[in-house]
Amino acid sequence: MYTKVILVKDTDLKRQDKTREFYTHLLDHLRESNLHAQIQVVRVADIGVYDRGLVLKILPDKITYVNVQDADIKRIVDTTLDKGKAVEDLVFKAKARQFRIVLRNCGNIDPESIEEYIASGGYLGLKKVLGELGQQKLIEEIKISGIRGRGGAGYPTWMKWNFAREVVSAEKFVICNADEGDPGAYMDRSVLEGDPHSVIEGLIIAAFAIGASKGYFYIRAEYPLAVERINKAIKQAYDYGLLGKNILGSSFNLDIEIRLGAGAFVCGEETALISSIEGKRGYPHPRPPYPSVKGLWGKPTVINNVETLANIPVIISKGGKWFSQIGTQTSKGTKVFAVTGKVKNSGLVEIAMGATLREIVMDICGGTLSGKPIKAVQTGGPSGGVIPEELLDTPVDYENLQKLGSIMGSGGMIVMDDDDCMVDIPKFYLGFCVEESCGKCAPCRIGGFQMLGYLKKISEGKGKPEDLSQMRRLAQAMQKASLCGLGQTASNPVISTLKYFESEYNEHILNKRCPAGKCNSLVTYAIVEDKCKRCGICVINCPVQAISGDKEQGYLIAPEKCVKCGRCFDVCKFKAISKK
Amino acid sequence: MDKLTPADLEKMNKASTDKPKDWIKVGMGSCGIAAGAEEVFNFFIEEVKKRNLQIDIKKCGCAGSCYAEPLVEVSVEGLPSVVYGTVNKEIATKILEKHVISKMLVNDCIFEVLV
Repeated sequence: MYTKVILVKDTDLKRQDKTREFYTHLLDHLRESNLHAQIQVVRVADIGVYDRGLVLKILPDKITYVNVQDADIKRIVDTTLDKGKAVEDLVFKAKARQFRIVLRNCGNIDPESIEEYIASGGYLGLKKVLGELGQQKLIEEIKISGIRGRGGAGYPTWMKWNFAREVVSAEKFVICNADEGDPGAYMDRSVLEGDPHSVIEGLIIAAFAIGASKGYFYIRAEYPLAVERINKAIKQAYDYGLLGKNILGSSFNLDIEIRLGAGAFVCGEETALISSIEGKRGYPHPRPPYPSVKGLWGKPTVINNVETLANIPVIISKGGKWFSQIGTQTSKGTKVFAVTGKVKNSGLVEIAMGATLREIVMDICGGTLSGKPIKAVQTGGPSGGVIPEELLDTPVDYENLQKLGSIMGSGGMIVMDDDDCMVDIPKFYLGFCVEESCGKCAPCRIGGFQMLGYLKKISEGKGKPEDLSQMRRLAQAMQKASLCGLGQTASNPVISTLKYFESEYNEHILNKRCPAGKCNSLVTYAIVEDKCKRCGICVINCPVQAISGDKEQGYLIAPEKCVKCGRCFDVCKFKAISKK
Repeated sequence: MDKLTPADLEKMNKASTDKPKDWIKVGMGSCGIAAGAEEVFNFFIEEVKKRNLQIDIKKCGCAGSCYAEPLVEVSVEGLPSVVYGTVNKEIATKILEKHVISKMLVNDCIFEVLV
């Protein structure tokens, strides 16, 4: 039986993978020292540390060594494996670590088993709330914790709850906003699918805090698995007496039901969401009155995001003070990000607020997929902005991201490299907002459409220098005059790219050139004569027969026939197609 | 089902801490299922029955490393629990034969991501 395991992985991408070589050396050494029967060496696919040479991780001691050389093997075998001490100069000290509060159970427990959730400490927060705390102290505890809404705007949760609690009304409501619509963001889906009971517990606690007797889950119909699991979880909670009448033997009653959204982006905005639940068209309304005072069916309503609610049970069981020690001065706790785009390890990352964007992208997610340098990171989805590479050392919190012209948003984070065009990206996001605009107010409906027109013009090489100032003016009008968050923030991707990448816009306008090679109208494909091996694969792959020629004479792309699909560029193994 | 009382909750919470049992967990969030987790999950259930192994096959949600789905976490007595990534039937067979039966970790498939 082995007593220790050594995991090995070469993380240096610039050279040939030395994992196997090192693995054999290590085995030889272990055999010499007669330790091979107690220690297993394992090559791994990913060791969680990137660009740090050869990395070793020793289990169960959990010691990680980085930049290990062959000459270090002896030291490691003698010190760590024989005597159980660490070789200090090689030890890896991680700057950024994931810190899991919201994702605490995701990937650990069976989401379809309430027993497993309870076994991991679930519903003990609810028990404490009903048994010891009471409304006043509960809200006090949430105030101490300093948690702010994780849906994007960052409004203090305790204030929302307190407003709704203070209003005298026979009927009050709580709603869990699970209408996650940002392109590339799926943290809420994963929490609903992986740990549905934590959200339900959070919702029950929120209902108790304000004195509500009815709760809703507003989930988009595009999340069938999440809906199925929440449904199951609600049923289990009813069976156990955690929902319904006299919850846990107290006098508190709560019923929860699911409402499906049809996937309109604007329905994530709270007033539009309320209209949608009421069975009306999903139009936003001017605020005030805020939903905490006059919400669903005119009654006080608290709407919290999935991630906010998943935090609540932990805050209650571990205490608001504990929670307030995590994070930065103004933003407490952790944030889950869905990191996607041109990144090596796409997925969910939960970090304490205050970690930098660079730590998230480089240290946790392993940098870009292509190995090319990062150009920018987009946060906050269509309402957020683009943050250029040189500002990636900014610690993540609500205020800092806002200062940079982006927002925290719900937690989408899209990594971009040199192949992404900074005219094309805002065009995509603005196009999304124009499509999703409900059309109620003119600044959003007309402003968005006009601005998209300018972006299309620029990307086709028909832009004029004065277009940029026109776009800035439009953006300002939209920000100031739009009715809801969708219109107010829709111009953020444009404004932030104009701020950080104006030269790229100018390149499109003045030189009719797209540096990233994304804007089709500005790109021409041609065959580089001296690199071409005349294999003819481009001819076979061209869908519009725009390439002519034969093996003797070479090939030529006819520009008038070419539809610029880029197939020839992708299939050519000799890089003999140029894209300019 | 009887309605729970606060005391029952405490009891259910405490009862969980004993008995470390061998288990295999398959990540069955949308991302896992899209990558083929359902097939892997069914494969484990069948094989374990066929080979008469004493190990629990469980499902869980997404652990976060969506790029390496389907993810399978294995915990067997005497070995540290590890996560295997991009698991297919071939790797699943290796996990059963090498990890579960011979008590050795499988090379080249482990994703030890959470530092």
